Amino acid sequence: MTQGVAGELERLRASARERIESATDQKALEGLRVSLLGKKGELTTILRQLGGLPAADRAAAGAEANQLKDEIFQWITDRMGGLEAKRHTALGDTEWVDLTFVPNPVRRGHLHPLTLILREVKAIFSRLGYEVALGPQVEDEFHNFEALNIPQDHPARDTMDSFYVEADDLLLRTHTSPVQIRFMQSHKPPIRIIAPGAVYRRDATDPSHGSQFYQVEGLVVDHDIRLSDLKGTIEYFARSLFGPERRIRIVGDHFPFTEPSIGAAVSCGICGGIGCRSCKGGWLEILGAGMVHPQVLRNGGIDPERYSGFAFGAGLDRLAMLKYNVTDLRLFLENDVRFLRQF
Amino acid sequence: MLISLNWLKEYVDITADAPTLAERLTLAGNEVERIAQQEVDFDGVVVAEVKSLRPLPGSTKNQIAGVTTGGAAVEVVTGAWNLAVGDRVPYATPGSRLGDRRIETKTFLGVPSAGMLCSAIELGLGEDAAGIMILDPGATPGQDLHALYPRDTILELEIKSNRPDLLCHLGIAREVGAIFNLSVREPKIPKTRSSDAPDLVRIDAPDGCRRFVGRLITGITVAPSPPWMQARLRAAGVRPISNIVDITNYVMLESGQPMHAFDYRRLTGGRIVVRRARDGEELACLDGKTRRLTAHDMVVADTERAQGLAGIIGGAESAVQAATTDIVLEAATWEPRSIRRTARMHGLRTEASSRFEKGLSPALSLPAVERAAALVAELSGGTATRASDVYPVPLTPATIELDADRIERVLGVRVEIADAASILERLRFIVKRAGARLQVQPPAFRLDCSIPEDLVEEIGRVHGYDRVPSTLPGARTPVRDLFERRDADETAREVLAGRELDEAVTSSLVSADGTPPIAMPSAAQAVVKVKNPMAENRDALRRSLLPGLLEALALNARQDQGGARLFELGSVFWKSAVNAVDEPQALALAAHVPAGGADAAVAELRSLQATLATMRDRFAIPATAFKQADFPSENPGVFAGFHPGRTGEVLDDGEPIGIVGEVHPQLLAQLGLPGRAVVAEVLFDRFSAGGGRTPQARPLARFPGVRRDLTVLIRGKIAASEVLQVIRQQGGYTLRDISMVSEYQGPQLEAGARSLSFRLHYQADDRTLTNEEVAAVQQRIIDGLNARFGAEVRS
Ligand SMILES: [Zn+2]
Repeated sequence: MTQGVAGELERLRASARERIESATDQKALEGLRVSLLGKKGELTTILRQLGGLPAADRAAAGAEANQLKDEIFQWITDRMGGLEAKRHTALGDTEWVDLTFVPNPVRRGHLHPLTLILREVKAIFSRLGYEVALGPQVEDEFHNFEALNIPQDHPARDTMDSFYVEADDLLLRTHTSPVQIRFMQSHKPPIRIIAPGAVYRRDATDPSHGSQFYQVEGLVVDHDIRLSDLKGTIEYFARSLFGPERRIRIVGDHFPFTEPSIGAAVSCGICGGIGCRSCKGGWLEILGAGMVHPQVLRNGGIDPERYSGFAFGAGLDRLAMLKYNVTDLRLFLENDVRFLRQF
Repeated sequence: MLISLNWLKEYVDITADAPTLAERLTLAGNEVERIAQQEVDFDGVVVAEVKSLRPLPGSTKNQIAGVTTGGAAVEVVTGAWNLAVGDRVPYATPGSRLGDRRIETKTFLGVPSAGMLCSAIELGLGEDAAGIMILDPGATPGQDLHALYPRDTILELEIKSNRPDLLCHLGIAREVGAIFNLSVREPKIPKTRSSDAPDLVRIDAPDGCRRFVGRLITGITVAPSPPWMQARLRAAGVRPISNIVDITNYVMLESGQPMHAFDYRRLTGGRIVVRRARDGEELACLDGKTRRLTAHDMVVADTERAQGLAGIIGGAESAVQAATTDIVLEAATWEPRSIRRTARMHGLRTEASSRFEKGLSPALSLPAVERAAALVAELSGGTATRASDVYPVPLTPATIELDADRIERVLGVRVEIADAASILERLRFIVKRAGARLQVQPPAFRLDCSIPEDLVEEIGRVHGYDRVPSTLPGARTPVRDLFERRDADETAREVLAGRELDEAVTSSLVSADGTPPIAMPSAAQAVVKVKNPMAENRDALRRSLLPGLLEALALNARQDQGGARLFELGSVFWKSAVNAVDEPQALALAAHVPAGGADAAVAELRSLQATLATMRDRFAIPATAFKQADFPSENPGVFAGFHPGRTGEVLDDGEPIGIVGEVHPQLLAQLGLPGRAVVAEVLFDRFSAGGGRTPQARPLARFPGVRRDLTVLIRGKIAASEVLQVIRQQGGYTLRDISMVSEYQGPQLEAGARSLSFRLHYQADDRTLTNEEVAAVQQRIIDGLNARFGAEVRS
């Protein structure tokens, strides 16, 4: 066995090698690095003895010690890498987690179906440059009836039996159409609005009727607006909402505040238009519409010789029922969370 | 409106099948809701003549009828006793079929019966089950009954309210003629007007009656109407009664003009007086009810008493009966408003009133009377002696000008002027062409056309809306602030859904007395009442969203869905001196805490506060402050329904804009909601700063900040907001941010004591703060808190 510094270096080399190889984790290796190479480590201790050596030996031993230092460093690094690779290989067993279930999903709140359908309607019309206009729910007779060509004792009032409130002959609006008048009175053409909101009629409650329901009104007034523009708008709207494969049917209709008046139906999504229990001969009525009556334009302060317009009105609850397959209107105002959480 | 296809074919030769006809009518604005095959369902039933009748030996119920179908007589046993020798009756021969029933020769008490004689109900031709159906005496024995009663197809149409002229077969025939370009055969109206006899009819109230045509016919015989007329009436849903009554109904279903027949001998004074009823005047009506009338009601009277409620229902006294010999036929045109008011007042809508309410043309009445008189002469004999046509202000036909450009400007499709003229003429408009212009006079039976657009509609719906192209309005779009409010609404909804609240929509109509007074404090105290509610518990408009949400929590708890958390964004209605009713948008939150008592409720309340603060942060409104609600000692006042120790007002710039708190246990008990509940309600526009502010970036700090914690031990009901105020005051400008870390109250502290922990963030823009500097400020804060609250402070 070699004596002196050289011998000590030799012994350290062997023992260091063996200790590094037998280390089983990162922490042990970290410890070895400190105890072998640290400021108070074994190699440093040996190096301190170099001062007592003859100059010639000193250089050789110094070189030897530096080499050992590099070797030890390399062995630790290699061993570290080996251990890491082994740990990675074993991860599938050591850290196995069953991902086939969700223990406590974060519950989200659910938005009301009337909100969701209105959102879709707004998004479709905002692409066409419409803005949203709102009007009061407590209306006066002028805006709700007279300005829309529905004078006292007009038969159309039969279908719009209204709730009156105690003040000033005010009533709960029976449709969103009064917003047409209000908007025309306060804005000049071009006008391009939709007006959503609650409306009220003294109707008995059943699966498809209630005394409070929701509509969305549309109004466009500009130079040279034609029925073909209304037809195109309805098609764009209905097919955006229900799907491009749906067909649209326009039929004659009657409303006091439009002339000509039309009704629009979309082909049934259940039977594809053949006719089934959910539809009327393959069609689902979705809205009433027409060219704004010249007198209604005048009532809104717009000259019917210079401008023309179209208007439409759809039941938001009906659209929601059709789109989301809701079969009872009453569910909308009941707020049973078992219903709300389906949306 | 029920339309018989057989009847319709009398006026127009329809070649299309029923579904096509229905489709085209619907497209043109006359919606066909249903196509029904009439329930006439038999085979092998023929006309037989009764030759003899004798009792069935051994039976008191049945008799034997000898009948012939042209050849030798056969014997049939029947249980009916309304037969007479010579009657024509429906005879189901052996081997024939009635619905699912096969008719064979059967033996009764040893006597074979070759088939059977049928009642109307057995044939599906009427409701009469009591006797054998007696056919028209002119029917030929042996004739197949189908020849007399062809199987009919019934169209059920929904006629728009502006077209009462279409509530009849002739009206629909004209539509069919226009749509399919077929000629229409109008019934021949005899022009045999005898001289007017103004003394028969007098109109004393011309404001209620536009025209009254009466015609006196004497020497008639009341009898059943012939089978063809009965069949048509039945097909249209009207029960046959007698020839006279059936004729009035028939003419109405043909021409649209309601009619009435009076027994002339029952009319005192032999005159008809059209007048307003006297207040309190009584009228026994045809439906068996006696009605007290008012001066609003129009009546048809004799010289003494009301004999009919004008345009609605006839009187019982002067009704046509079996013995009636002299009648007055009435066809009048009543003022729609008056009819509407009377029908509403008496809660009585009839076939006649619903037509008059829509406004019939006075032009219909005279032809109707003449048509009916001709039918009376044909079916019940008699002599039409006098007629009276009182028509104070005759209609003046309007002329409307139209040109091809206008049609195209409205419809967006070019319709050649010749085609437009043809459509209008098919619809019975009188059209004069002057080059590219049309001068158009609407038909006298229509009152709904007065402007060019009305004509364009006629052209459009008959030409076909399917021939109108689909375009979108031009590219010029108004530029305004799009969806400003929607952004705030939608942002709020997203935040709330993210905080695990479900969106509710509750009814605006609530009970005035039964609704708990809980609301945000700024809500109007009085509710807006509905004058004509449909239900007692829906007789007012909501002033707060909270009662509806609490009701929904209770409903869900009953459905085994305890712990529901809901929000609603909607209008509330506040009585106001300025606008009568204000409709601010409110946002309300409500959470049910079914278990866990007071502590769980606190946690939920804190969560609600955090939700409100998070949402305002989302609107870029920096800090949301709350103020402890100051309950008046006796009466909770505006805080009614809230927990006196757990309620705070939501502040915006120091001003209350809403409330957050726990619901008072007494109110929960009243609602039947177990456990506890916490709620919040705010004015949404204020809360969202009218749609949210725009965030503004600030330069990032160049020098590091210093964090220090501070725990304050206080006693009694000292609000954290006050503690924070002192910290801020003493902190000076280097104290940039304070957040509350925790609150503790419990066994580790003496009773009534509470510790609040804050984290303070110090920073300066121009230098790195030294520890000494920060320590000095901390000490100043500690001293300040000590002086103000006697608080012990650890830092
Ligand atoms: Zn279908």
